[in-house]
Amino acid sequence: MNNFEDRYTSYFNNDKFNKVVPDWFNNFRLNGLNSFQNIGIPKITDEDWRFTNLKDFLGNDFLPLDKSTNKFDISEIPSCLSDLDAHFIFFVNGSLVHSADLEFKALNMKDAIVSEDQNLKKIILDQFSLRNKDFFYELNSAFLENGVYIEIEKSHKISKPIVLVNKFDSSSSDAFINSRNILHFGESSSGEIIEYSFSDSNKKYFSNRTTMLYMDKNSSVEHLLIEDGSKSSFVFSNLKIKQDRDSNFTTNSILMGGNLIRNNVHPLLNGDGSYSSILGLYLSQDNQLMDNYMFVEHAKPNCSSRQLYKGLLKDSSKGIFHGRIVVHKGAQKTDAKQTNRNLLLSDHAQVDTKPQLEIYADDVKCTHGATTGQLNKDAIHYMRTRGISKDKVVSMLVRAFADEVCEPLKSKKLINLYHRVVEQWFISSKLIEKDE
Amino acid sequence: MLEIRNLCAEIKGQKILKGVNLNIGKGEVHSIMGPNGSGKSTLASILAGKEDYTITHGDIFYNGESIMGMVPDERAQKGIFLAFQYPIEIPGVSNSYFLREALNSIKKAKGQAVLKPVEFTKIAKEKIKLLKMDESLLSRSLNEGFSGGEKKRNEIFQMAILNPNLCILDETDSGLDIDALQIVANGVNSLRDEQRSFLIITHYQRLLNFIVPDFVHVLIDGKIVKSGDKNLALELESKGYSWIKE
Repeated sequence: MNNFEDRYTSYFNNDKFNKVVPDWFNNFRLNGLNSFQNIGIPKITDEDWRFTNLKDFLGNDFLPLDKSTNKFDISEIPSCLSDLDAHFIFFVNGSLVHSADLEFKALNMKDAIVSEDQNLKKIILDQFSLRNKDFFYELNSAFLENGVYIEIEKSHKISKPIVLVNKFDSSSSDAFINSRNILHFGESSSGEIIEYSFSDSNKKYFSNRTTMLYMDKNSSVEHLLIEDGSKSSFVFSNLKIKQDRDSNFTTNSILMGGNLIRNNVHPLLNGDGSYSSILGLYLSQDNQLMDNYMFVEHAKPNCSSRQLYKGLLKDSSKGIFHGRIVVHKGAQKTDAKQTNRNLLLSDHAQVDTKPQLEIYADDVKCTHGATTGQLNKDAIHYMRTRGISKDKVVSMLVRAFADEVCEPLKSKKLINLYHRVVEQWFISSKLIEKDE
Repeated sequence: MLEIRNLCAEIKGQKILKGVNLNIGKGEVHSIMGPNGSGKSTLASILAGKEDYTITHGDIFYNGESIMGMVPDERAQKGIFLAFQYPIEIPGVSNSYFLREALNSIKKAKGQAVLKPVEFTKIAKEKIKLLKMDESLLSRSLNEGFSGGEKKRNEIFQMAILNPNLCILDETDSGLDIDALQIVANGVNSLRDEQRSFLIITHYQRLLNFIVPDFVHVLIDGKIVKSGDKNLALELESKGYSWIKE
């Protein structure tokens, strides 16, 4: 069998979408192709991949998904979303299948490309950043076709959350599923975004997803990503946010599904006075591997960033937190903080955490801290001496641990969803009794 | 109410208690005094059910029933309360949520109706005045960032809420200034009645000026070597422990 890059090059050459798109877009895809070929599949000798061995992933032969069912019955959405008043956009295997009654422009990605939507063209051709070249992001560009493009107009305050629900159905089996969502928030606009991936069939698939947010000046966004795909899947996720002046961004990721999840988050603070809050909770069990790679790029002065990532790890699962803060020359008065905390719930669970600061300005404040430990025995004993059972004490302590990650969120709907999703995981992973 | 019979205990092979005998009747206040390392805090920890110790001999009866096989929560549900020498900080769990869960766990074990949050808050706000604590401490994380004095007062506040039958105070007076000491003592005294018993562990006689004990015991090297009334505490204060050892 050919190596990974060769295989995906041949898939690319047979890709029918290449034949129907305008030249500029073809060139964009070819750029992606060249880049992923040049970068090469990550190896553990690469500094940014040293804790994640892709051997299991590479032992599979995932084929591009040719056709999948277009059915997404509203009754199939996860129960925690069912009573949410929101703008729902439905996807099956990364492909948009339904959206209705939206108060903003939302286009099927492939249609917007073929019809040469000028705003989208400008965004796609934007360089984003010269730093942080990622193999899977470039692969995602080479195969860019599926997803949604959302345009929020200047000063528009979205009245209810935008929910992108993606279902991996039975046709996802052994498939390479590539998708990209692009959201552009105009000047002084605001909104809440929920991305929710789940699987109804527990197939093994390769999901390569990118979400890109372009935030114009003074815009404000809260984002909640829930990764609850198949336990056999390999998930590579890129979240990239380009922030203009005085924009305010908060993202929170809850990672649960996947045999392997590589979770890249890359905010680019590209305008004076912008703020980025990057939160996440990885909940792992069995043999899951959850690799979080943060790349927080301060390109302009007077920007602040806050990272809080926490991991709750059971069984023989493994977590990784790799947090890099890059402060460009001239990005004075940068205020960046990074915190990673891990709670190991088994003797076999394992965490690697690695902060990295790369600072080219002299007047900056950057701090980082990481802790890894087990539930505090003295705390458990103390609480039990007040009459609370051990199981209940453990549930109180793990809830408290998880709750901290959601404190910076302001949106009530996002906060509620966060609690419901985390609580469901606690119950399904038997950390908490259901009828408590 | 409490009967300790020939209790011997060790930790990591080191013998700490070497045959402690003690009887505490209903409504009585007993004090145990003794020098550093004599086993006072070990005794308190064992009564509350800490698992780090190995009991090599003896037994503990509470209301006629051996509590040796009982886990800490079960002992608390039966009415045993230990005010810790060093209360533990629990980030992310609010003081009031914690106490409500504790009270309701005890009520559930007794087959009583549990309290709703509003009902609990009403009681908590009433009792917290007793310890002259700020109401804001209710919504803060349990003991987190509390001053030494606030932590100790919070222990007695918990005691007032949970209504135990046997209250064990492990050096509650250490680290308290004289005002805080009086407040804590007033809190304890307000809980004294014919049904409730106290075991007060302390280094100093000072606390016993405010909480007057019925009996004073001296624990040295893992054994109670002398017992008496409140005057024994005064004698210890003026003479130290060496005269007993000899």
